[in-house]
Amino acid sequence: MKKQITRKTFIVTAVVGGIVLMALVIINAIVSARQTTTATNEAVAEVSSFYLEAMADRRAKTITNLINKNFYQMEIAVDYISNEGIESEEELRNAIGDIKRLLSLDRFALVDKDKIVHTQYTTYAGGSRHAFLSGEMTGHRSVSTVSIYGSSKQLCLASPMDELTIDGKQYVACFVQIDVGEIIDLLAFDDNRTYFGLYGKKGENLSGTKLGAFVSTHNLFEALQGIVPEDTWTENRDNFLKAMDGIISFNVNGMEETLCYVPIEDTDWMMVVLIRESDIQDRIRSISEKSLLMSKRQIAFTLGFSALFFLVLLYMSKALAQKDLEVEKKNAQNFRNMANTDSMTGVRNKHAYSEMEAHLNARIRQNEIDKLAIVVCDINGLKIVNDTMGHAAGDRLIKEACSLICEYFTHGAVYRIGGDEFVVILQEKGFDSLKDVITEINHVIEENVKKKKAVVSIGYSELTPDDQLVRDVFERADQMMYQRKLQLKQMGAPTRA
Amino acid sequence: MKYSFIKNGITSFVLLAAVFLSSCSMASSRIASDEGKVSTDSEGEAKTGSASTDFVSSAVDFNHELDQYKPKKDRYNFYFTYKTVHPWWDAVALGMEDAQRQYLERGITITYEYMAPDVASAEDQKKRLFAAKAGDFDVIGVDVADDAIISPILDEMVDSGIKVMTFSSSDAASGCKRIAYVGNTHNYEDGKDLTEALCKKLGYKGKVAILVGSVGAPCHEDRAKGAKATIAEYPDMEIVATEYDMDSVDLAYDLTMKILNDYPNLDGIICCNMSNPVGAARAITERGSNTVIVGMDHDQEALHYLKDGTIYCLGVQDCYSIGFDTIQTAVKIADGNKPGVLFQEKTDEATTVIYQDDASIMLDILYGDD
Repeated sequence: MKKQITRKTFIVTAVVGGIVLMALVIINAIVSARQTTTATNEAVAEVSSFYLEAMADRRAKTITNLINKNFYQMEIAVDYISNEGIESEEELRNAIGDIKRLLSLDRFALVDKDKIVHTQYTTYAGGSRHAFLSGEMTGHRSVSTVSIYGSSKQLCLASPMDELTIDGKQYVACFVQIDVGEIIDLLAFDDNRTYFGLYGKKGENLSGTKLGAFVSTHNLFEALQGIVPEDTWTENRDNFLKAMDGIISFNVNGMEETLCYVPIEDTDWMMVVLIRESDIQDRIRSISEKSLLMSKRQIAFTLGFSALFFLVLLYMSKALAQKDLEVEKKNAQNFRNMANTDSMTGVRNKHAYSEMEAHLNARIRQNEIDKLAIVVCDINGLKIVNDTMGHAAGDRLIKEACSLICEYFTHGAVYRIGGDEFVVILQEKGFDSLKDVITEINHVIEENVKKKKAVVSIGYSELTPDDQLVRDVFERADQMMYQRKLQLKQMGAPTRA
Repeated sequence: MKYSFIKNGITSFVLLAAVFLSSCSMASSRIASDEGKVSTDSEGEAKTGSASTDFVSSAVDFNHELDQYKPKKDRYNFYFTYKTVHPWWDAVALGMEDAQRQYLERGITITYEYMAPDVASAEDQKKRLFAAKAGDFDVIGVDVADDAIISPILDEMVDSGIKVMTFSSSDAASGCKRIAYVGNTHNYEDGKDLTEALCKKLGYKGKVAILVGSVGAPCHEDRAKGAKATIAEYPDMEIVATEYDMDSVDLAYDLTMKILNDYPNLDGIICCNMSNPVGAARAITERGSNTVIVGMDHDQEALHYLKDGTIYCLGVQDCYSIGFDTIQTAVKIADGNKPGVLFQEKTDEATTVIYQDDASIMLDILYGDD
């Protein structure tokens, strides 16, 4: 036997299906978020080294560019001095002042063949102060580190120059000194989660910048001794001495830190960049949490929207069902009306009469009816009209007779139970006015006989206590109708032969 | 006109009084600082010096400001000569450059020459002074290479109207006509202090050697005299050698090796200049000897030897202040002022004895290196 789908089944299926669907969406979103975080962490771990190396390289190149720029500007400065026709020490000092101002070479100076340094304001013996003057001048460019007493380190860029004689002195070289602090300012272009510093070949911090909380400003290798395995420590210290790049990872107080170092071209410096793994993890976690929060919001929104959507859908489904039900009811009513109505006259038909008869019979049996009268009406001469004037004329006669009956039996139910036969059921008010109405309508009918209009033979009967069925009342009325038909025939009404 | 004269007079008096009070205050603070140099070393022994950051930080004063003296000119040209090209005088130069910058900010241009030979030489200094005498300098400043040779020359220069001052670590001989001196006025005491610390460390018993810098250099000779005087106070202490390294680290190393060969059981070395302790420490380290070194000055390598315990203590002079005050004093001298209210005839600069515990702080302060 095929099971019928009920409304309840439909709703339960929709709700359960919706919940399962939403649960799947949530689980899928959470699993996706976790997988994304894990995958990202793994990816970060893999690329952090590359990232650090890139950062170190970028900073190292910045310094190399700075060095090249300063050497280039020194060339311009020397050309300027050579072409100015300078003849005295004072003029030279003024020219150096111009160069400092125009080319931003703050610590520009010339050196004569006796290693005497000439600046804008001073002339001094520089053999012990500048590394490139401590031995024989090589005739090549040199880059050296200068430890300034009580101050930071400086990068000294020295360049030989074509011999220039001013006031009897032969100038053979020029140099500038760049403060490490200025270089550090130039390098501070990234976020504050990475640390960087300039280091000497022995791991000494030249820049004074903190390389994280642990290494801080200490000598790199002194700080890492005992923290990393001895062979790792030795390998990296050797890398420093040989100006080779490398990466060191170490764990301090449960914190994983990674540093990367690269040599800076033309100098004996190493650029060291450090990042704490936890910083990367924190950053990723933060991004993941944001992403997860966003997903949760999206899920909540989706759930809310879906729930609302389902409610609306349910409401609409219910409304539609209600509407369908009403239409169905109306159709049923229409069908029922059509089944109980005579299509020609619009009054109830024999089917309706049979239903009413059954209904009244039941009430009679239960003794619920006091007043009931049956009026039987029969159209005189319908067959003659049909035969002589056609069915259309016959139909018009039927309608005319029906109108007459309905006009007078306003408080009764009129039924057409045959081609030329009508029944009127009268109760209560209609019952009370029966006889008056009969008198009036019969008078009109008798007039109609004379006018050759519709003539209806009417008989009637009232319910008596002996009557068991409506049929009993009907038959008495029918008898009376036949008697009346004879009377009307005698008055000249058309009657079937 | 009369009122203007009185007004100017009162202004000058107030200004001079302020400068005088300021200089008195400065002098007393340095004296207080010197008096406070007592604490214990890593072995719990009493010593002069302290491990406190403040104490070590005050050994060199990098925060100078020019006093309220208003120079009479807007341009000055000086000539300074010192014993030898050496990092110690480079530190003095930085103080000078700081003063020069500050004057420049006030619209006063100061130019100067700051010259020395590669090897300390009184004869070379003599030549430089004769050359400078012919130059157009407002003041000539001298770190005396040999007081016996140089002092008469300075007197001649003063007599000829040249304004002469001495500076850094070596003044001219007593009675010299130079106008003023800025620098270490207590070299003899420095020699005594270092030697006293050594004697205490050795339990006042042992054989020691003295390394001196340049022959005739007053500061080096005075410290050596102070050392000898202290050793003489203890009968169980003996000086077995006295050598001059002529301000050369390499020579100091060679001399120490020679002394160690001659006296393998040498207990201590007293170093009287900046190059002595570096050369001595290199030799001691190479030999693996336990010889105790005491010495002078702030050489970065020497400070590292102090940090690792190879050197027992170092007397650090405030070179920066020497340089700064030299330029300030030179400007006043150039304006024709005499020692008195505006500046003292001898401006003393402090020496601080530091020990192993202080080394990292001093390395950080002086070289950004700990």
